[in-house]
Amino acid sequence: MLTLPRRHLLAGAAALAGLAIAPAGTRAGPAKGDPVYLGVSGPLTGPNAQYGAQWKQGFDLALDEINGSGGIDGRPLAYIFEDSQSDPRQSVAVAQKFVADKRIVAELGDFSSPASMAASPIYQRAKLVQFGFTNSHPDFTKGGDYMWSNSVSQADEQPLSAALAVKRLGLKRIAVLHLNTDWGRTSKDIFVKAAKEDGAEVVATEGYMPDEKDFRSTIVRVRDAKPDGLMLISYYSDAALIARQLQQVGVKLPTVAASSVYSPKFIELGGDAVEGIFTASRYFPDDPRPEVRAFIAKFKARYDKEPDAFNAYAYDTMILMAQVMRESGTDRKAIHDGLARVKDVPSVIFGKATFDPNTRRVRGAMNVDLVVKNGRFAIYEGGSAIR
Amino acid sequence: MSSWFDYTLNGIIIGNIYALLAVGLALIFGVARLINFAHGSVYVVGAYAGFVAVTQFGTPLPLTILIAVAVGALLGLGIERFGLRPLQGYAHIAPLLATIGISFVLDQLVQLTFSPDPRAVPSELLQSRFQVGSGTIGALDILIAAIGLASAGLLYSFLRFTRLGWAVRATAQDRDAAQQMGVNVDAINRTVFAIASGLGALSGLLVGMYYNYIDPSMSFQATLKGVVAQVVGGVGNVPGAIAGSLLLGLVESYGIALFGTSYRNLFAFILLVAVLVLRPNGLFASGRQTPPEPMTGTFIAPSRPVRVPHRVLIALALAAALLPVVLPDPYVLQTLTNAWLYGLLGLSLTLIAGTVGLISLGHAALLAIGGYASALLSINLGVPVGVSLLCAGLIAAAIGTALVFPSFRLRGHYLSIATLAIGEIVSLVILNWEGLTRGPIGISGIPPLSIFGIELDSNRSVYWFALAVLVVLAALQLRLLGSHLGRVLRAVRDDDIAARSYGIGLDRYKALAFAVGSFAAGISGGITSHLYSYINHETFNSQLSILALTIVILGGMGNVAGAIVGSVLLVGLPEVFRIAAEYRMLIYGLVLLLLIRFRPQGLLGTV
Repeated sequence: MLTLPRRHLLAGAAALAGLAIAPAGTRAGPAKGDPVYLGVSGPLTGPNAQYGAQWKQGFDLALDEINGSGGIDGRPLAYIFEDSQSDPRQSVAVAQKFVADKRIVAELGDFSSPASMAASPIYQRAKLVQFGFTNSHPDFTKGGDYMWSNSVSQADEQPLSAALAVKRLGLKRIAVLHLNTDWGRTSKDIFVKAAKEDGAEVVATEGYMPDEKDFRSTIVRVRDAKPDGLMLISYYSDAALIARQLQQVGVKLPTVAASSVYSPKFIELGGDAVEGIFTASRYFPDDPRPEVRAFIAKFKARYDKEPDAFNAYAYDTMILMAQVMRESGTDRKAIHDGLARVKDVPSVIFGKATFDPNTRRVRGAMNVDLVVKNGRFAIYEGGSAIR
Repeated sequence: MSSWFDYTLNGIIIGNIYALLAVGLALIFGVARLINFAHGSVYVVGAYAGFVAVTQFGTPLPLTILIAVAVGALLGLGIERFGLRPLQGYAHIAPLLATIGISFVLDQLVQLTFSPDPRAVPSELLQSRFQVGSGTIGALDILIAAIGLASAGLLYSFLRFTRLGWAVRATAQDRDAAQQMGVNVDAINRTVFAIASGLGALSGLLVGMYYNYIDPSMSFQATLKGVVAQVVGGVGNVPGAIAGSLLLGLVESYGIALFGTSYRNLFAFILLVAVLVLRPNGLFASGRQTPPEPMTGTFIAPSRPVRVPHRVLIALALAAALLPVVLPDPYVLQTLTNAWLYGLLGLSLTLIAGTVGLISLGHAALLAIGGYASALLSINLGVPVGVSLLCAGLIAAAIGTALVFPSFRLRGHYLSIATLAIGEIVSLVILNWEGLTRGPIGISGIPPLSIFGIELDSNRSVYWFALAVLVVLAALQLRLLGSHLGRVLRAVRDDDIAARSYGIGLDRYKALAFAVGSFAAGISGGITSHLYSYINHETFNSQLSILALTIVILGGMGNVAGAIVGSVLLVGLPEVFRIAAEYRMLIYGLVLLLLIRFRPQGLLGTV
């Protein structure tokens, strides 16, 4: 019980310190001078362009805050975004460009793990941090000590999905539909292994192409395996299409989807077909934590729409990089060393972010189990899994 | 078994969707003998026009349909007038590439206007659905089928029973004769493009409503499936397009039933290649259709090639070799290394497409075969990288030529379609053959380039290696083109009937040229895999095939120096524009269009 008063005391002290500093204007004023540049490698055109656009929104929102409160030691933080289409060949060219540009002190991205992993040898050799904030492939951070990520590895996430499906929802015969990509395949393999360990049987797996839109025959094939529940390892756009067509084909089964479907777009595109679908997210807008509430309020004020997970990841990453640079300095080596030292960074996703030195990922993945209810995501508090 | 009924129903439903696209493509091909790659983009524009009408103005469905059709028709008129009419009389490749350039421009304009986010397109049709078997059918399914059949029926009647329809068919059979008989062929082309594009836009709207989903990148898949359907049914055959679409839908659905979803597109493309090889006019076309008579001399480009003296070529090669000493910037070296690798691809295609006239749209498959061969040999069998690269070239030559050989008797666009399909098949086989290729995971940990045990671990050494390979293969190709064999190959391109009458075995010479070209492409793919250390089935994708073709066109078809100049420009320019990322594909599409319009023979001229 002693801890509660202490936290309040510290919060009060911080507020007082803020008040004391503000009149002086030495730190709270807008940043000026030469910018500190981060390089961003990601998709601005091509099939993944929507994710690059969402990144930009998260980055720009964070930069408003960072540069409005002094920047990095008085210098504004900025980024240079190079279009890679999330294509391994192009991410390599971008990497060469970034490592040769002395202004760039760290790199964020690429969107897909294959695109990031293709470029990792270049960043590692040049000793430029490659921060893959959406790279959930377990092997991404094995590319070298300059590969860091605050994305939860699929090796950690898919067991959580399996626990939701098998332990909380009681599914025993699961069919899996997955994107037939590096991410989808790796995730499917880990999910299947975890579900079996939890005591379920996986009766069918179907991989589909990213640009697929017609799933009716796939669903019939899955249905014939007589599952008692479905797992979708999908992005929100294809998961919405699958959900609508499950309805059209007449399949009514409890359905769990990977956390990547968590987006207002999932509900917009799927309509009432996504009602009752379970998922999970490390970011959830009804989370009462103050950093989440503040993020959502600022995002809506600027963009006039609800943020989704990709906005939140990008925002968190920019906040994190700013804190590392404020604490440790802005040269390439300082950032690399600072990531290992930084502790308890305020995070929309994690609450407080600190890195595990062995995996160079953030410790303590937390999931909120969610279900779509009345056209919005709501916290799943147990109860009937019947749709 | 009730499941087979469900699979059949699903096949018909998706077949109706393909039919909407195939009918428009069939109409355009029937008149202009052109595969319109911009058709998918018109479909996207129609979807977004409908989206705006419904979400911003709340228009009722009939008015929404009218708006989409009108926007599509106007767009079709613009495409014909500004994109294609200036290219009449040009080589076949020019309008084909023009439609590709137009599709890049349109897709990028849509993305810039609406953002890449997918959108929901509300349908105000009754949401009630009725049970058929275990599944359900809704009003939109019925509407799509009805519009597909109605449009095919109307078009068939129009072509068969109206004076304007007769003029359209006359133009399709022989535009010069039709013109001499007083038919205004320009007006015919305009009419056909407007009708077909209106249909394309309408199909975009309906499919967007059907899936409640539109996004700017859906155009390529739409074009691809539409092309498959109309070729299967009979190119230029409107009723055949409907039948071909339904057959395609059923084949895909049954393929999923038997083998699983990841094989879906494989079945589609295998069906396409089988039809092309066995019955190239399509399943429902008249077997007595006469191929168009080539006009001797019409393929010769309207200018002479720029002759680059050997001394200048040698000096340029030396300058390139000295560049890393003068300018050791790793970014520049990486970019130029990419240019040399694309140059190898350009050499390959300029021989195959330029010198021999086999327009290949699936050339990336040769890179993929070479890349995977070298990667797997060096990883699994411990073959030294230098040896694995040579093997990659030979394997690409052998497999590539074997795959394409049955298509050599096809003419014109049929061969291009076959190579497009074969390219997709190779990519899908790589994806599904998990035991060998590791499927979607791809292959990582590919050893770096090394020669005689010496590892090439710096940008400079890789640059020099790629440049050396390019120079050697370019010199060999120049030697080939200057020989008697080179003249034989050009004869095959210019007039294959005349060549055959002189005793030249067409298929054997085509196979020989294809094998030589494939060797260079396989080497390029192999070097790429070692350079990047990771490849998967999308590393060498269809966009690369189109890029290769653009390199060849830019430099001048059959022109060895042109292929290298083209690759340097096409690799360098996107790098220069990379900072303006969102406009890059737009600029690329516009440059392609301007090039085709004003310099169709390429920078250094067709050889």
